[in-house]
Amino acid sequence: MVTTMDSKRSPRRGSLLLLLVSNLLCKNVASLPLCPSGAVNCQVSLRDLFDRAVILSHYIHNLSSEMFNEFDKRYAQGRGFITKAINSCHTSSLSTPEDKEQAQQIHHEDLLNLVLRVLRSWNDPLYHLVSEVRGMHEAPEAILSKAIEIEEQNKRLLEGMEKIVGQVHPGIKENEVYSVWSGLPSLQMADEDSRLFAFYNLLHCLRRDSHKIDNYLKLLKCRMIYDSNC
Amino acid sequence: MQKRVQERGGRRSQKRMKAGECRSGRSRRGQSERRRGTAKIRAQASWITLVLKSLPQGKGKQAKASSTESGNGPTGMDLWQLLLTLALAGSSDAFSGHEDSSGKPKFTKCRSPELETFSCHWTDGGHHGLKTPGSIQLFYIRRSTQEWTQEWKECPDYVSAGENSCYFNSSYTSIWIPYCIKLINNGGMVDQKCFSVEEIVQPDPPIGLNWTLLNISLTGIHADIQVRWEPPPNADVQKGWIVLEYELQYKEVNETQWKMMDPVLSTSVPVYSLRLDKEYEVRVRSRQRNSEKYGEFSEVLFVTLPQMSPFACEEDFRFPWFLIIIFGISGLTVMLFVVIFSKQQRIKMLILPPVPVPKIKGIDPDLLKEGKLEEVNTILAIHDNYKPEFYNDDSWVEFIELDIDDPDEKTEGSDTDRLLSNNPQKSLNILGAKDDDSGRTSCYEPDILETDFNASDICDGTSEVAQPQRLKGEADLLCLDHKNQNHSPYQDASPATQQPSIILAKEDKPQPLLIGEAESTHQVAPTQISNPNSLANIDFYAQVSDITPAGSVVLSPGQKNKAGMAQCDTHPEMASLCQANFIMDNAYFCEADAKKCITVAPHVEVASHAEPSFNQEDIYITTESLTTTTGRSGTEHAPGPELPVPDYTSIHIVQSPQGLVLNATALPLRDKEFLSSCGYVSTDHLNKIMP
Repeated sequence: MVTTMDSKRSPRRGSLLLLLVSNLLCKNVASLPLCPSGAVNCQVSLRDLFDRAVILSHYIHNLSSEMFNEFDKRYAQGRGFITKAINSCHTSSLSTPEDKEQAQQIHHEDLLNLVLRVLRSWNDPLYHLVSEVRGMHEAPEAILSKAIEIEEQNKRLLEGMEKIVGQVHPGIKENEVYSVWSGLPSLQMADEDSRLFAFYNLLHCLRRDSHKIDNYLKLLKCRMIYDSNC
Repeated sequence: MQKRVQERGGRRSQKRMKAGECRSGRSRRGQSERRRGTAKIRAQASWITLVLKSLPQGKGKQAKASSTESGNGPTGMDLWQLLLTLALAGSSDAFSGHEDSSGKPKFTKCRSPELETFSCHWTDGGHHGLKTPGSIQLFYIRRSTQEWTQEWKECPDYVSAGENSCYFNSSYTSIWIPYCIKLINNGGMVDQKCFSVEEIVQPDPPIGLNWTLLNISLTGIHADIQVRWEPPPNADVQKGWIVLEYELQYKEVNETQWKMMDPVLSTSVPVYSLRLDKEYEVRVRSRQRNSEKYGEFSEVLFVTLPQMSPFACEEDFRFPWFLIIIFGISGLTVMLFVVIFSKQQRIKMLILPPVPVPKIKGIDPDLLKEGKLEEVNTILAIHDNYKPEFYNDDSWVEFIELDIDDPDEKTEGSDTDRLLSNNPQKSLNILGAKDDDSGRTSCYEPDILETDFNASDICDGTSEVAQPQRLKGEADLLCLDHKNQNHSPYQDASPATQQPSIILAKEDKPQPLLIGEAESTHQVAPTQISNPNSLANIDFYAQVSDITPAGSVVLSPGQKNKAGMAQCDTHPEMASLCQANFIMDNAYFCEADAKKCITVAPHVEVASHAEPSFNQEDIYITTESLTTTTGRSGTEHAPGPELPVPDYTSIHIVQSPQGLVLNATALPLRDKEFLSSCGYVSTDHLNKIMP
């Protein structure tokens, strides 16, 4: 498909197209069971598991970016949310690698466990995010649908990651470590500004963490499956 | 106007933020700056509003003075002042911006090309010489897991990224960590922004563009090429640290608009349908997947395709309108000539053959006109599927009239006598058709073709007579008359006209029945009219047993059943046949028939004339006649008055679709098969059946 260049090419169009494509792709891939129902000892290859995990993480990051942008456009304009400068995310306590060198030095099993922890840490916030967005005044449909989708895909990704860990590192089951999220009261505050600020912060953290997980998984995939030669 | 200006002001601030490329979502200028800017804009807006309000409506009147001008004359100076005012009003944001940027450095862009390092650029406000170089400083702070307890640190590298820039190498770069930077000028902060590194990724352009020819179209006009490139060298795609997608653009060398292709993840992409006689330019840019911002474009790749082959097809395929027009005109001319020539008869016949008139093989249409129906019937009888449709009313009438006119055939009373006379030969002559179908079909079911001719003759006569009678609306049916006068032949006919299955059997019956006041001895010997008068005295009622497709009414020769009670006599051989005779298509039920069939003892039963009920031309029999006959016949009839006339009785209730409930006297209650086989039951019977 060839189009002539417009003077102002909307970036949202491209991302929306990407989202749609990845949405379809993810829906197709994610809905296909790796193991046929009823199979007892279904051993899916690690490659397939990783491929699916990367697709899911990419999809989640796309959704969270879109959701954040929409929230920003709709609610945060002119309010001066300088959250990043002030607030931190609840997953900051997890010591995740912060640049490429650290990510390359960390062992892949540890990295996998880290990913699991981050994913688990988001189960609770996502659930509350959905319920609170629903209760918002004039609940925005776009944001709500994305939140619901992210929550579900996060669960799927968590399952996939647990499968991967089970294959890569069988037998050892670490304690379920994750960061506790305590931001629910701020999401339910009566003050509109504070509440919106809490939402903004949460969505920003979600976008950041989804990008982090996406990056880690792509790194792991290239390292483990393609032997650092993607 | 005011609103517009304010909008511009707001947009300007947004633009600034965009220019700074620090995607933190909103301006980081700070509240004070914004307020100042807004106030300035407001002032400008008010001034401009004042100016413009003084202007008259319509742009055409440029001669009108502004507030500062009192004169009305359109002088050049006034015009220029006005234009300047308008220009200033239109670019108020630029005006304010210029004022701002004149002395204030600010961030223009922060960018990370590979998610490992990043750099920030700023402008120094245009005052190159006013400030001492290097007085602008950049401080940054990055928030670690703890709070913002760290101090602001100065930029580690002012040089590597160029002038007015700060470069953070990989050791200073942490992804997913918020950074804040501020620009300090002579001790005063002039700009500040916060961001995260993953938000400012803009990859370098791809390198190593080249193209290969894929194929050339058959027409030799178009070609496809494959363009390949390498990812930017500093982006670590091999280890998967960053995932890029690319966008290719191409255009002809002398065009201005680039054609864009969809983003692709691979480093090679085919470009289809390039013209061979043109030169093209190709360029590629990349961005991080999931991001919105593209990096810079790569170098332009020039694609010079091989020259078009001299045997290439003509590109311009003009539709051969001229040829089509010529052909069309010639074709029309030819057709015109054909039409003209077709006036001649022969050619006309050749081209437009006449539609053949309807014609029956072997029959001369004139024959029909003359009215020699005998021959016609003979011929027609040849055809198997000779349907009663032929027997339209007119032909029947015609036929009847012939019969009457013939003195030989004239009988004392009417044609019915003649028709009913037991004279097969005559009948044959009359009917003129060997086929049973001829004339019989009006009386009988069309499917009964095998009926004995004798029998059919008679009934034919009856039916023939009946039809005109019906047409004429007369209740008196010749059939009946004939039957009265001539029982035996009629009897022959009527049973014969019964279902084929019982024809043979019935043949024997009629005679004795006809003689009727029937004795059990039902000999086949055809007896002549024994007592036609008896029958004749009976009131003529004809039951309409069926309606032929031609529209004529098929009457049931019930009269014969007077004797017909004889007919209804159950004979041993009849008994079995009777069962088959209970055809349900006849809605009219003859209980006597049923009784007849049920009971073995041969006796005349009045009601049992199955024949009439069995869709044959049963002639109505009055109750009296029936009763008399039944009485004569024997004891079977149960109480005469009780036995209902099988063929006729007044209708009490019409129960569609199954039948009629007649007011006949109560029938003796018989077994159930009688019920099931009959289309109707009398009220009394009904009462008996249903408590």
